[in-house]
Amino acid sequence: MSLPHATYTGPKSTHEFEVDPSDPRYQTTEGRTTGASDYVLKQGHQDVDKPSDPKKVDNVNSKTGIDQYTTLSQLRMQLTGLQDDINEYLTEKINHVKKPRNSKQEQEINDLLDGSEET
Amino acid sequence: MVNLNGIPPRGKRNYYLAIGLEGSANKLGVGIIKHPVLEKHEDSDLSYECDVEILANIRDTYVTPPGEGFLPRDTARHHRNWVVRIIRKALTEAKIDDPTKIDVICFTRGPGMGAPLHCVVIAARTLSLMWDIPLVGVNHCVGHIEMGREITGAKNPVVLYVSGGNTQVIAYSEKRYRIFGETLDIAIGNCLDRFARTLKIPNAPSPGYNIEQLAKQCKNKEKLVVLPYTVKGMDLSMSGILQYIDTLAKDLFKKNLKNKLLFDSRTGEQLVTVEDLCYSLQENLFAMLVEITERAMAHVNSNQVLIVGGVGCNVRLQEMMAQMCKDRSNGQVHATDDRFCIDNGVMIAQAGLLEYRTGHFVKDLSETIVTQKFRTDEVYIAWRE
Repeated sequence: MSLPHATYTGPKSTHEFEVDPSDPRYQTTEGRTTGASDYVLKQGHQDVDKPSDPKKVDNVNSKTGIDQYTTLSQLRMQLTGLQDDINEYLTEKINHVKKPRNSKQEQEINDLLDGSEET
Repeated sequence: MVNLNGIPPRGKRNYYLAIGLEGSANKLGVGIIKHPVLEKHEDSDLSYECDVEILANIRDTYVTPPGEGFLPRDTARHHRNWVVRIIRKALTEAKIDDPTKIDVICFTRGPGMGAPLHCVVIAARTLSLMWDIPLVGVNHCVGHIEMGREITGAKNPVVLYVSGGNTQVIAYSEKRYRIFGETLDIAIGNCLDRFARTLKIPNAPSPGYNIEQLAKQCKNKEKLVVLPYTVKGMDLSMSGILQYIDTLAKDLFKKNLKNKLLFDSRTGEQLVTVEDLCYSLQENLFAMLVEITERAMAHVNSNQVLIVGGVGCNVRLQEMMAQMCKDRSNGQVHATDDRFCIDNGVMIAQAGLLEYRTGHFVKDLSETIVTQKFRTDEVYIAWRE
């Protein structure tokens, strides 16, 4: 089964997002960045809207003795991790835009706000 | 001439099947309906008599803690995480083993909150590609109207559409649902919900329902708390009323004895309760709605009113509207219960299937882009004369 991947392209940078199935971040359907918002949780919200757990195949793998997840569940877990990677990358980009650390960054922000990166 | 049998059902069956996906606000609804092929629909304006059979009407609501509204991001997350489970449940309830038998997939194209709309349309597109079934994008308001007409059998009513996001008085004319009057600022449901937040009463089953229950407990019904009455021609404004009653409620909670409306200036005795405020707010807002609805009825010479939208299941609103209609000659009020008043997938399926049967459906996925702003009168109503 080929692994899902994503590419970010902008005029000034590109970024590849790859999945490593052995990394725990690609082995869950509960993403770090796709949970209920902190604000709602602080107000006492009981989160009953979590994604369903990944589903295991009925038979345990005879060679490894380890439970296997269904193909669709594997894809869901990998996409959850991939979505986290993308969200974190874009959040970092936004934070970078929000807080200029020097005049060069300030110029970059102004360029972005002008929409000049889009042209 | 309208021909509702223009497109034959799949597999040369004698009935149509449609699935509707709704998620424009905090309710996620999936509905499956069946329309028999009837000869009378080949050349007639009988779109309110489809003999609809509801095979499934599943809904799940995103509920927040008392005092809180629903944020777009969290509402979208709710829809994203539940949509597959709700669709599966609907198919099971409808006893549909092979979903490729469905004629059309209908989804809410707008108006509504952007992020939740996006989540649901992605599910609709995926199903369409997976099962090779055409899509129809539905205007949420038109969905409410068509479901109301089908359930009540109201032929050509003046429609009062009252919900958390919309307040409109509508009448049909020349292939459009024309808006006769509407809110100039916030919707009536929004006004009630936000007052419920100020009172910190629960959001389950819905804040408006809880206000209605409190209003029923009012022991001082003959003495209304005076609130602004803001009808502007055929339109109304509710943000000022909300601001005013919010201030009263806050003064009540703070025990601000200086407020002479709430407390006796000499003895400090409390004159008004939370229940009184809820009752007066409802009476005031509903009286405004009745006034503009009656004027619209006079304009179009109609004696039928159809109340749709979430606020439409408020029994007091139905009573007040019935009183007005009784005073007019042979007037009738048509309303539905919470299964169809509150946002649901069935209404999207109903309006979408009518559109599909007249030969209108999505030819390219670029036509499925959802929109937050989508006025009722933008839709061409092909299924009516």
